[in-house]
Amino acid sequence: MASSSISLKRREQPTTRDGDQLIVTPLGAGSEVGRSCVYMSFRGKNILFDCGIHPAYSGMAALPYFDEIDPSTIDVLLITHFHIDHAASLPYFLEKTTFNGRVFMTHATKAIYKLLLTDYVKVSKVSVEDMLFDEQDINKSMDKIEVIDFHQTVEVNGIKFWCYTAGHVLGAAMFMVDIAGVRILYTGDYSREEDRHLRAAELPQFSPDICIIESTSGVQLHQSRHIREKRFTDVIHSTVAQGGRVLIPAFALGRAQELLLILDEYWANHPDLNNIPIYYASPLAKKCMAVYQTYILSMNDRIRNQFANSNPFVFKHISPLNSIDDFSDVGPCVVMATPGGLQSGLSRQLFDSWCSDKKNACIIPGYMVEGTLAKTIINEPKEVTLMNGLTAPLNMQVHYISFSAHADYAQTSTFLKELMPPNIILVHGEANEMMRLKQKLFTEFPDGNTRIMTPKNCESVEMYFNSEKLAKTIGRLAEKTPDVGDSVSGILVKKGFTYQIMAPDELHVFSQLSTATVTQRITIPFAGAFGVIKHRLEKIFESVESSTDEESGLPALIVHERVTVKQESEKHISLQWSSDPISDMVSDSIVALVLNISREVPKIVVEEEDVVKSEEENGKKVEKVIYALLVSLFGDVKLGENGKLVIRVDGNVAQLDKESGEVESEHSGLKERVRVAFERIRSAVKPIPLSASS
Amino acid sequence: MGTSVQVTPLCGVYNENPLSYLVSVDGFNFLIDCGWNDLFDTSLLEALSRVASTIDAVLLSHPDTLHLGALPYAMKQLGLSAPVYATEPVHRLGLLTMYDQFLSRKQVSDFDLFTLDDIDNAFQNVIRLTYSQNYHLPGKGEGIVIAPHVAGHMLGGSIWRITKDGEDVIYAVDYNHRKERHLNGTVLQSFVRPAVLITDAYHALYTNQTARQQRDKEFLDTISKHLEVGGNVLLPVDTAGRVLELLLILEQHWSQRGFSFPIYFLTYVSSSTIDYVKSFLEWMSDSISKSFETSRDNAFLLRHVTLLINKTDLDNAPPGPKVVLASMGSLEAGFARDIFVEWANDPRNLVLFTETGQFGTLARMLQSAPPPKFVKVTMSKRVPLAGEELIAYEEEQNRLKREEALRASLVKEEETKASHGSDDNSSEPMVIDTKTTRDVVGSHGPAYKDILIDGFVPPSSSVAPMFPFFDNACEWDEFGEVINPDDYVIKDEDMDRGAMHTGGDVDGRLDEATASLMLDTRPSKVISNELIVTVSCSLVKMDYEGRSDGRSIKSMIAHVSPLKLVLVHAIAEATEHLKQHCLNNICPHVYAPQIEETVDVTSDLCAYKVQLSEKLMSNVIFKKLGDSEVAWVDSEVGKTESDMRSLQPMAGAASPHKPVLVGDLKIADFKQFLSSKGVQVEFAGGGALRCGEYVTLRKVGPTGQKGGASGPQQILIEGPLCEDYYKIRDYLYSQFYLL
Repeated sequence: MASSSISLKRREQPTTRDGDQLIVTPLGAGSEVGRSCVYMSFRGKNILFDCGIHPAYSGMAALPYFDEIDPSTIDVLLITHFHIDHAASLPYFLEKTTFNGRVFMTHATKAIYKLLLTDYVKVSKVSVEDMLFDEQDINKSMDKIEVIDFHQTVEVNGIKFWCYTAGHVLGAAMFMVDIAGVRILYTGDYSREEDRHLRAAELPQFSPDICIIESTSGVQLHQSRHIREKRFTDVIHSTVAQGGRVLIPAFALGRAQELLLILDEYWANHPDLNNIPIYYASPLAKKCMAVYQTYILSMNDRIRNQFANSNPFVFKHISPLNSIDDFSDVGPCVVMATPGGLQSGLSRQLFDSWCSDKKNACIIPGYMVEGTLAKTIINEPKEVTLMNGLTAPLNMQVHYISFSAHADYAQTSTFLKELMPPNIILVHGEANEMMRLKQKLFTEFPDGNTRIMTPKNCESVEMYFNSEKLAKTIGRLAEKTPDVGDSVSGILVKKGFTYQIMAPDELHVFSQLSTATVTQRITIPFAGAFGVIKHRLEKIFESVESSTDEESGLPALIVHERVTVKQESEKHISLQWSSDPISDMVSDSIVALVLNISREVPKIVVEEEDVVKSEEENGKKVEKVIYALLVSLFGDVKLGENGKLVIRVDGNVAQLDKESGEVESEHSGLKERVRVAFERIRSAVKPIPLSASS
Repeated sequence: MGTSVQVTPLCGVYNENPLSYLVSVDGFNFLIDCGWNDLFDTSLLEALSRVASTIDAVLLSHPDTLHLGALPYAMKQLGLSAPVYATEPVHRLGLLTMYDQFLSRKQVSDFDLFTLDDIDNAFQNVIRLTYSQNYHLPGKGEGIVIAPHVAGHMLGGSIWRITKDGEDVIYAVDYNHRKERHLNGTVLQSFVRPAVLITDAYHALYTNQTARQQRDKEFLDTISKHLEVGGNVLLPVDTAGRVLELLLILEQHWSQRGFSFPIYFLTYVSSSTIDYVKSFLEWMSDSISKSFETSRDNAFLLRHVTLLINKTDLDNAPPGPKVVLASMGSLEAGFARDIFVEWANDPRNLVLFTETGQFGTLARMLQSAPPPKFVKVTMSKRVPLAGEELIAYEEEQNRLKREEALRASLVKEEETKASHGSDDNSSEPMVIDTKTTRDVVGSHGPAYKDILIDGFVPPSSSVAPMFPFFDNACEWDEFGEVINPDDYVIKDEDMDRGAMHTGGDVDGRLDEATASLMLDTRPSKVISNELIVTVSCSLVKMDYEGRSDGRSIKSMIAHVSPLKLVLVHAIAEATEHLKQHCLNNICPHVYAPQIEETVDVTSDLCAYKVQLSEKLMSNVIFKKLGDSEVAWVDSEVGKTESDMRSLQPMAGAASPHKPVLVGDLKIADFKQFLSSKGVQVEFAGGGALRCGEYVTLRKVGPTGQKGGASGPQQILIEGPLCEDYYKIRDYLYSQFYLL
């Protein structure tokens, strides 16, 4: 039974190559911005990064291409941050697909995720059929989402992962995944610049094998942070000093908090401005303030140290504004309002009433989507159309000051140069920008050891990692370090992607598994003389030893060094042995023998002269059996010349020498198979050697 | 081949003294915990003082005095200079605990073992880790990975895992497997078979822990009973550890019942404590973070608890029954001691202890059974100097000032330059000329308060070997130093530097009262008088220690089943009891070293690494068993191109091996399995299982706590020759894998 674990149906060599193939497929955000979702598969483990929707589409069209994958095979889903284009299809994916893996995001992301999506469901004006999910789905999804802290290492089904600070927004993370020693970094949206409250994206301490990186900013370069902050505060200061009003249309979360911090600090430093009110008008932002006030630990040292004195997110000069009705427009003021695109709502209402006065100013603080009013006024048209359909002159000053928190080209290239990943996959970028970035990065890594890929949605990138499987031999087996040619036999235990080899009796020491021995005791009715059994057994088995039972003093026989046969009483004998396949077989044959004794009168005939003959007969029988078994395995088996067996499979021929077991064939696969098959057949038809009980 | 590991206790073995252990892993010396008691007994630190300079890293497990109290003193006086690792809450709350200790002590004695500056310096360079963060040690510790994991005893409390070459050394003291309101239970059980486990036997003899619900009920009933008859309730608590759980229980109960009795939380740092705790939600229990995620409801927005930072506020509070949680739990110092003395003689009042007091303290004395009727208490108070003493003091001061002025004028220019130029590397510990300070303290207790003011805005003129005297130039009013706000304005252009500015300043927030105490430069002295306090109030002790009880400790250790076990921190009987228990049931290598006795727990495990060749692996078929997969391999050693040993398939036929049955049979599970297959099955006497009419099956041999720990299972199946026998045997085989 030595080789019971090695089946005859052995797998062919090339199949193992599949195990080394790593596939990365963007299901969204491949050469586009929006609906981030990247699928990755390696060694039978499947991971999905992010689960966003495309803000420009609605309904199913906005989803990533989930059809490309089988959601039930995904082990882990990792969400980098709370933005709609990274997290909003999560309720759909969790509640409406067969996905049953585990989902992770950071604490802050989870807290804001719920608020943001609830708000998103409320404001998105789509028909009921187009609704991908409702509030209930969001609430249900909350129970399935698990949280992970920065740097905390989590292991799921052998997949190890942890996350680094990504900058960008509160709670944004970059995920590093380690599968069997191959490391993949997914940056999500990141920024390498520290701002007022967020840390810069960390540089991971290990270089990844693959870096899946965002390319939103392409080859652009950002203005220095101090310059743009100064521009920002200067515009505001001069406008309010002249009695004007400042409107800042902004998205509720992310940059808005940064701008509020800037304003609050500026006001604190300029006591002359203290009588000028600052409002932020976003119910969502107001709700999220509690989150910002709590997850201080995810922010930078500056905030953490300020927190030692007072919570910097408890603003001293800024007050919330619920609706335009609560707002008395009496003099200079600064209002930050949603939506950022000036499509409708409070920011638009204020814009309409302020746009014709040239004392007023409007600051557009970031990237604006094509087609919105905010994008239009950046080009400073003479006139604008108001919400009520009338046109009005655009006299207010319009300033575009980008506070984008995406890495620019300088940041991206230094980040990649520090990490030096051999494979770079660009995602989350507009196709043309991405190509330009790719070209420019090529010039940065001229040595040719770096592959840069820009897959489109559903286009797979395949890579091969020839990962070595390393095992640790421990315990008794390792007492002596073996030399080449020595044999090592033991139990191989695989847990996750770690292997250990140990002696079977130490299994319970080094692993949580345990071994067992099963002792069997069976009683058989037998009324004859015990001596008869002994005689019959000796006929069949190589070794039968007599002994006496220590307790009862009754005679006992030890058959084949395995099975003890005892005379229990006049009418019964008992068999006792410890389970294993050979002992079971020996015991079975003893049982059969005993039962037959009682049935038929034993014929005690001396058959000495037949020994030679029967051996010959046996030999013939064995050959027949071997032939039959080979036919059942290979089909076409013929007796060839000089006693060799000729085996034909799919046009390949192998010649088998029955005596030596040698096989000749041009096809190495067939040769190997025939050799092994023959070896096993031979060991099966041979009598059981005593040594097997070692 | 194994990693060499030595453990040397420095304090806290065979007794309940503070914890402090030296663990050396391949020559890299970890000091794990650095505790002190509430009496600040320097004799406890003798062992530490001998090794302090050889320490390479300090790991802190819990934010209380017993686990980190000696850190400032060791850094200042004993030459400990290694980097300190702790979780964020342990760092923050530990800092506040030390502030509270210092201020409480200062109030009643000329405490000079360490100063607030020393505390700041000690905590300034703590490297903060999150739970399960695998931190690779740099430099000398190359190859060692440390990671804190949830301990469940206090907020941020950690069990530490030190890993080198795949071998784990786990330090787990004061863990709690039970989930509480604000904390998750420990994850200790997720570590299986570490090379070494260092754990405490503190609760080994402590059993019959009451169920949480019942305990909470008794707790609240006792409190409300006393409140309703008009009594006051005092809970002596720690500064920032277990008190959080008590606050939550009270808060929750008060809102459910709509009680109007006020609750006061009185420590020198109570408001900062709660402010910080509010931002530590990541570290708390799942239910707390869940409630915040769904409703943004921060559990530590306490509506019924008033945070107080000085005793006067409590005295000014409206009269009537109230609950006061005050530090220190030992009643040796702090507000709790004052309040106890005031309230002890009213039988309506209740002093409710929530944990066992430290050995040799007033709290411990009061917890003895039967409780003492009278206790002798030395009450000390700091009073301003008056009359002749004041005049003498001022003369001395003037003399000193003249001397200082003389010296200062010589170095002033240099000083100023240094203090302005190096503001942003204030991380360097400030060196105060301790000798001068001591002299002053010797003659006039509080004279060195001036120094403290400087300590609060560390000028980092640390390079100067002298006391920085530029405070002479400062203007003073009744609030202290006159400050010019412009000095603190962070200019736009050096905002980044500004961040670092504040970065260096980890003083943390001190409450105004604290600050006023700091800034209080009025000369004062400590006066003491002995009182006999009649204890007529009720004394009750309940277990809110948040530690696993004896039974859980045993099953936890059995589950973890370390290869070697080191027991610390418990009285001799408990240590001995647990040692015997573990020797008999869990593992043969149990050590309980004495102080400064080094035990070598290097694992005698042999191991070597081999590569598994593709050829071999393609022939191996794994069988899945729980988390792991198993297979038998017969292989031959070869070499890879990179000269690494690799396992190749055997060239010849493998020699047969004894078959192994792998699996863990649970009789009860098997019974269910059999009945699901339609076999009539029932338990017979003696743990035997009667299957069908004739066949019985039983486990024989020693049964350990868990099948895994005590060797292979022995299963006996017997019966007469019949069909059933073979059927049941087949079912039994189906529970195992045959390799």
